[in-house]
Amino acid sequence: MHTHPAYHHKREHRIVNWPMLLRVAGWLMMMEAAFMLIPLAVCLAYGESDRLPFAATAAGTALAGFLLSRRIKPTHHSMAKREGFLLTAMVWVIFSIFGMLPFIFGTPGLGLSDAFFEAMSGFTTTGASVLPSGSAISHGVHIWRATMQWLGGMGIILFTIAVIPMLNSSGGMLMFNAEVTGITHDKLRPRISQTAKTLWLIYISLTLVLVALLWAGPMDLFDSLCHAFGAISTGGYSTQSTGVGSYASVYVKVVLTVFMFAGGVNFSLIYRGLRGDIEELQRNDVFRSYVWLILAMFALFSTNILIRGCYTGWESVTIDPLFQVVSVITSTGFTPAAFDSWGPMVLALVFFMMFFGGCAGSTSGGAKIDRLLFLIKNCRNEVYRCIYPRAVMSVRINGRVVSSELVHKVIAFLCLYMMLIAAGGVVLSAMGVPVVDAFFSSFSCMSNTGLGADITGYGSSYEMLPDAAKWVLSMLMLTGRLEIFTVLVLLYPSFWRK
Amino acid sequence: MRIVIAGAGEVGSHLAKLLSNEEQDILLIDENVEKLAQLDANYNIMTVDGNPASFRNLRELLRDGCDLFIAVTPSESTNVVACSIAKNLGAVTTVARINHYGYMAPENRAPMKQMGVDHVIYPEYLAAQEIVTALEHPWTRYWFEFHDGAIILAGVKLRRGAPLIGMQLKEFAMTNHAFHVAAIKRHHESIIPRGDDRMEEGDILYITFTREHADDLRRLTGKTDFKVRRVVIMGGSKIAIRVYNLGHDRFKFKIIENDRDKCHILPEKCPDAEIVWGDARDPDVWGESDLDTADAFIALTPGAETNILACMTAKDMGVQRTVAEVENLQFVALAEGMNIGKVINKKLLAGSGIFQLLLDADASTAKCLALSDAEVAELEVKKGSRITESPVKDLKLPRSLTLAALIRDGEGMLIGGNTHIQAGDRVLVFFLQGAIHKVERLFS
Repeated sequence: MHTHPAYHHKREHRIVNWPMLLRVAGWLMMMEAAFMLIPLAVCLAYGESDRLPFAATAAGTALAGFLLSRRIKPTHHSMAKREGFLLTAMVWVIFSIFGMLPFIFGTPGLGLSDAFFEAMSGFTTTGASVLPSGSAISHGVHIWRATMQWLGGMGIILFTIAVIPMLNSSGGMLMFNAEVTGITHDKLRPRISQTAKTLWLIYISLTLVLVALLWAGPMDLFDSLCHAFGAISTGGYSTQSTGVGSYASVYVKVVLTVFMFAGGVNFSLIYRGLRGDIEELQRNDVFRSYVWLILAMFALFSTNILIRGCYTGWESVTIDPLFQVVSVITSTGFTPAAFDSWGPMVLALVFFMMFFGGCAGSTSGGAKIDRLLFLIKNCRNEVYRCIYPRAVMSVRINGRVVSSELVHKVIAFLCLYMMLIAAGGVVLSAMGVPVVDAFFSSFSCMSNTGLGADITGYGSSYEMLPDAAKWVLSMLMLTGRLEIFTVLVLLYPSFWRK
Repeated sequence: MRIVIAGAGEVGSHLAKLLSNEEQDILLIDENVEKLAQLDANYNIMTVDGNPASFRNLRELLRDGCDLFIAVTPSESTNVVACSIAKNLGAVTTVARINHYGYMAPENRAPMKQMGVDHVIYPEYLAAQEIVTALEHPWTRYWFEFHDGAIILAGVKLRRGAPLIGMQLKEFAMTNHAFHVAAIKRHHESIIPRGDDRMEEGDILYITFTREHADDLRRLTGKTDFKVRRVVIMGGSKIAIRVYNLGHDRFKFKIIENDRDKCHILPEKCPDAEIVWGDARDPDVWGESDLDTADAFIALTPGAETNILACMTAKDMGVQRTVAEVENLQFVALAEGMNIGKVINKKLLAGSGIFQLLLDADASTAKCLALSDAEVAELEVKKGSRITESPVKDLKLPRSLTLAALIRDGEGMLIGGNTHIQAGDRVLVFFLQGAIHKVERLFS
């Protein structure tokens, strides 16, 4: 029976519509199983032993999803705010749980904590890895890690909304809001599924172009696919143990830089740009700040390299620092070879860029430049008001005045963001991780950058951390990817009470 | 369908939610950012912040085409201008909400069309029509005549002692061939009943029948007939004036108005009505306006609560027919369950006006009526449509709609399982919210 929720306040005893949640989760799991066919096909093509774990995981996931979606019959189909938040957060965890199985039973042979960390790091496009560098893992596992990033980059929920017609409703709308990054969420088309389809279409097209470009260079098809998935989703897993740096090719770096840059731009803006609305790009404050920030950082990096005498050729002051700047600001975390020798000032700048990340509505992590802009403009107003207390000031973004509630929300977000990073750092150091590494790992995971732990000299990968720390970091990655509120609201007692 | 709605006021946002639930593409434009943010975050619609009568905004909105442009801002001139611009920029059909009868007068249709306004919606006029119908058939909640009365759909509330209470629908159908129960409204919710459902006290039955059986139905539902003559209206609103204009030849009106200044204008608009200045909730005013001898009481103040309470008081005093305007949608279902007779809501009426356009671009062949969570439409069956393929019992109709009756060659008849619908028939469809696309599929 269809009734309009707004007009009929029927007594609803359950706080959360679990049957409906589980049913949708079932569909999503079947979808994940479909994506597992990619690594399975790769394993078969390369004749690797990992085909068995992948086949088993895909079958198991599909079966579990099938049972959930078929056996559970919800009495009503309404999904309200609570369901939107809960389902979104839950789906990311469920995906990681099923996605980690090949890591446990396949060639990597990881333990539970390691596998979950690796899977969550993949889906949240963090790109932090527990696999020791140089460890031999199969092509299937490589492509599966890349696929996870690719799927998580644009968003699992967003993909679902695009393909499952039933989510083309207010419920799907709420899930969209819970997953997509940014302060406000602009829709491209009237219905949410059309918006999701458009975004995915752009994403897929960009990926295909990137694969073709990489393939045309020194990479083979397999490496092109993996790196394309990792770059456009700003994830940062590489098939090479030494990272992208092992490709000395300028061509590869230039191509990757361009597409990581694209991955850090708001996809609705790319859509408008592709539709010929170039003016919109020039007018967009966030995009302009993004470009200027990259250029400024590039100038600082190059100068620093010159001063420190690390000049080794024209590449070392042009494409190398630019690649590094874009890689960090978009939270990708690819590193070119010479990064270690650039000194402490570069590291400080890296921290700054990791904190803010790319534009909202992109695949990048961090707190987003949009918020940086809000913060700076608001702070400027506050300072000005010290001299002219009666001045009426407002925060203007893209020529539009932003309501003060929105500014408050942004400031609250940034406070929470910093508090969570600090809390993560404290918890990690309590587990015996050296203080600098504890805070850096917490920061790196929260901002979904996943720069290797070796930057601070603790270990070559995240495997060194105690197991409990990996779970903490996994949760931080999820919280960072879903931009805090979606996860934090679940911890709020009122969420579970009426 | 791609539908652009200008104005996120009460009517606009109601339409946006309603049509979005009907799986249409909705774009909503308004200048009030806060109103939009609320809707944008919670409903499957796209909102645009801007002036609905600006070329720049409309050009942007209409770039990907627009099948229906609905202008429902509070200002009627903005609506007309917006429609005019939209039509020129390529909107297929335009609808403007208006506040004056002049815009819908038959002699002004051609100039309106020239300006680019294809249809107008005048919610106050629709409300007045409903009220006058309610006064003419005082024992029913709803009374809709289709095709000049060939088929009638009435909504009747079953009160204690009605002979029908406790009867199963299939028994009722066996003993009375002249009636078809299309829907039942029970506990705030409309349901499409099956043969083994029973009728209960407090149900509102929606029954189709032909004119000659009207008295039988009245007896079966335990109602008494009476003629309304003296009508007291509380609140001299626009609707009140339209009610007066539509019904002053048959009814004697008394209008109670609280605002002194308005009381001075009312005699000019309603020359034959008696105007009383005062608060209709005040017992002294009742005495003065002879409420105890009135046949009907209509509460049309802006406050839904005031209207509901006033109607209950009037019922207590012995007024047999009461009508309350309830503008809060949340209260409509509640008010319908109470002992206050008919409930009027402008938004629902405006909504059904738009539904009519959705079902059929040529509005003259479709007729739509709004109930709080269901709709009734009279549709012409086109050649080759799915509904003509087999007898009704083999059509596998979805549970959210029912075929209530049909009109063939001007004759009304009820639809049974064996009825085979033919092209050219006009069919009365009763459907719940969210089912309009199913109706569309059936009739195309």
